[in-house]
Amino acid sequence: MTAVAMVIVLAALVSAVAGQILLKKAMGASHTDKGFRTSAVVVPFAIGIALMTMQFFLILGLLQRYDLSFIYPFQGLGVIIITFAAAITLREKLTFQLVLGSVLITAGVVLVSMT
Amino acid sequence: MTTENRPTGFRNPWLHLAISVACVTVYELLLKRGAAETAHLSSTWSWTGLTGLASIYVWIAIVFVILSLITWLYVLRYLPLSIAFPISQAVHVLVPLGSWLVLGENIVTLRWIGIALVSLGLAVVARPVARLEEEL
Repeated sequence: MTAVAMVIVLAALVSAVAGQILLKKAMGASHTDKGFRTSAVVVPFAIGIALMTMQFFLILGLLQRYDLSFIYPFQGLGVIIITFAAAITLREKLTFQLVLGSVLITAGVVLVSMT
Repeated sequence: MTTENRPTGFRNPWLHLAISVACVTVYELLLKRGAAETAHLSSTWSWTGLTGLASIYVWIAIVFVILSLITWLYVLRYLPLSIAFPISQAVHVLVPLGSWLVLGENIVTLRWIGIALVSLGLAVVARPVARLEEEL
């Protein structure tokens, strides 16, 4: 794997994680009287969808050069990263069980997609 | 936090999380069936994936993936991402199981271990949440 490919794998992971966080932020802000018609919803929603789209094409580009079984396990890392990122940026509560479960799921996803 | 005013019945976000996961599973299986059906169509265009659109399965798959996105956004309105996202990874158990049961694909030992690990992780994440829901 080249250094460029490594950077693209990282960029895809970061945009997937940031995309989910922003979508959560947007949906979380939709509980006020204004509903969805507020910039607190529309702005993170638009950036979130844009990031997910970018991630989709980054993965597509990687798949043109590498095997799915090589690229996909990296996506498994998204689970544990999202759990921590949500705790840090969205101030969600992090419990021992949540971290343990996320680690198990990450390990399982890596195994499932590697073989 | 997001736990206040959580709707019940059909609007229960946990139900929608389950629907979202089920939709992704059905989507993947239909997509595979549609892709297999159209693989022979045109070698000049097949690399774009566009030839897959000739299969009705692919169109039904697209409906399911849109449903999964809508239900997922609804889930995000009410549930913490740090719980909903790990649980959404149940697709990594259901898709291989579905490929095995419905499509007759082979699953190697290492993959069975992976499926078991994901299931165990799901149980660990979901158990304290289930207890919390009971108390409410």
